Order: sequence, then C-alpha cells, then structure tokens
Amino acid sequence: MRTRIALAAPALLCAALVAATAARAQLHDPATPPAVASKVALRGEANSIAVREMRIVRKNDILVVQADMANMGRTDRTVFYRFKWLDNAGNQVGDGESWKQMRVLGLGQQTVKSVAPTNAAVDLRLEMNVEPR
Amino acid sequence: MTKNTLTALALVAGTLALSGCQNLSSPVVRFDRQVNYGDAKAVELVTNEFGSTDLQMIAEKMTGSLLETGIFQGRPTVTLAPVKNKTSEYIDTNNVMSSIQTALTKSGKVRFVRSINQMQQGVDELQRQNQSGLYKQGTTAKIGQMTAAKYQLEGELTSIVKQNNTTKDVYYKFTLQLFDVEEGTVEWQDEKEIRKTSKR
Repeated sequence: MRTRIALAAPALLCAALVAATAARAQLHDPATPPAVASKVALRGEANSIAVREMRIVRKNDILVVQADMANMGRTDRTVFYRFKWLDNAGNQVGDGESWKQMRVLGLGQQTVKSVAPTNAAVDLRLEMNVEPR
Repeated sequence: MTKNTLTALALVAGTLALSGCQNLSSPVVRFDRQVNYGDAKAVELVTNEFGSTDLQMIAEKMTGSLLETGIFQGRPTVTLAPVKNKTSEYIDTNNVMSSIQTALTKSGKVRFVRSINQMQQGVDELQRQNQSGLYKQGTTAKIGQMTAAKYQLEGELTSIVKQNNTTKDVYYKFTLQLFDVEEGTVEWQDEKEIRKTSKR
C-alpha cells in the first residue's frame, strides 16, 4: 500500500504542476476590462501590459479592430501579438496573420489595428505574450 | 522490501514521471544535425535586412487598408505594375505584390487581370489555341476578349540606413498607389513604415 502511494505521488505532483501552469496561463492585468479580456488570448503573464480598450467596427462589410495596449508599469516591455479572425462557426478565417513585435514604453500606450481578410470574419482574438525584459 | 529500497524506488519513479512530464518525444526521424520546421509567421530577427516579417507586415497593412476603404465596390478589375526597389539591398519586391494579390483575391472583393509580366504567357496560349489548328472550333478562347484593368497597383520600397560603431538603424518605407487607368488619377494611396535597429 505504502509502495503504491510512493509511486503515485510523483504522478500527482506532475498533474498538479500541469494544472497550476494551466491556471496561470491567462493572467490579465487588472486594468484589462473583463469584456476585453474575453477577446484576448494571453500566453503567460501580462507583465503590466493591459488591453484597456478594444473597438470593433464593420467598415464596407469588413471588420476592423483597434486595441489600446497600455504599459501600467515603469519598465519598457516587448509585446508579441497578432489578431486571429473567426467566422460564425468559430473557425479561423484565412491563414492567420504574422506575429508582430512592439515595444511599449513604461507608462506608455500603443494602439494596434487589424482588418479582417474577408467579410466571413465575425469575431476575433488578440493573441499576445509579453516578454518580462 | 526495506524502507530504503522503497524510498529509492519512489525517487526513481518520481524522476521518470517528472522528466516524462517535461520532455515528450516527437514523431520525427532526425540525425545529429538539428533541422526543424518553424513558424512561417514568427517574427524574424536574424539580421536587420529586409525579411519575411517585413514582407508579411507590408502585405497585411496594404491589403487591410485597401479593403477598409471600400474602393473595390462591384469587384473591379486590377492589374499589377512591378514594384520599384529604391533600397541598397537586393529584394524581390514583386514578392510583396504577390502576397497582396493573394490576399485581395481571397477576399473576393476584386478581380485581377494579367500584369505586364504575365501577359506573354497569356498571348502564347491564345495563339496556340487559335493558330495551331489543333483544337475543335468552338472550344478555343477567342482573341480580343480579354477584360482590361480599371485600376493599376504601383509600389515602391525605399530605405534610409544609419550606422555607427555600435548601432545600425534601417528605416524602410513601402508606398502603394492605386491608379485609375483611364483617368490617370490616384484613387488610393498608403504607406507602411518599418524601423529595425540592431546593436553589436
């Protein structure tokens, strides 16, 4: 019995580590409103980068989005981001955008923009990760 | 089984479990040399010369800007002009236009007609069908039925390079113009600026 517990313990530890990593996967900055956070797929920690506002409009039958990224801390941050466009079934529209690198100065704000590749896009996700340096 | 043996077994099992948790092997056949497929959309920062990310960012910005304006109402016909490369680098600038053409065609908002570079192949095929005597009458494409372009896309890429002992700064500017062929007017124009700085 004791042998079984001893053998099961590392597996449980492993599962706990995976669960903890998954739980930490989306740690939005408190300044990111919940409605915006639902459109942001954040990988890792926000490192003081908040998506303060996201504006989506349909222009000439094509969705256009602008998002304001604010650095809430005093340290400059490097953000990697791209928009992912989704159709009404939740499938990705097009091949996907290229990743972009952007520097956000301490206490600064940058606006990023994207236009949907076709009129089939009805929703989007902002995929991003922030380098701690 | 002694207590020490049990502890040792538990440690071995734990190490195995944790290592299995971290490093899963992939279904690949690989020799010593490290070759990997990477993300074609990843940010490329190998040097500060013109790279794949620059090409992709330019194409995305120009396509987005064109679609956003709504100038392509009624699926007009468009042709491409060669892109002028005014930088000091060798860059296949037509690659940028090719990406823009692909994205615009997939949007379904526009129809592209043969550009100057693609025309000879079209003429050759028409002549083969109509003059070789090999094809059934009525199945051949007729000469003189091509649709002309309403608009023409023209672009140019310029750069400014500044360098000192420790830093190299490259500024690229891609300008794209949409001309109305009949009237010769610029109906739309946009530019994409890119700054790349490298330090030794």
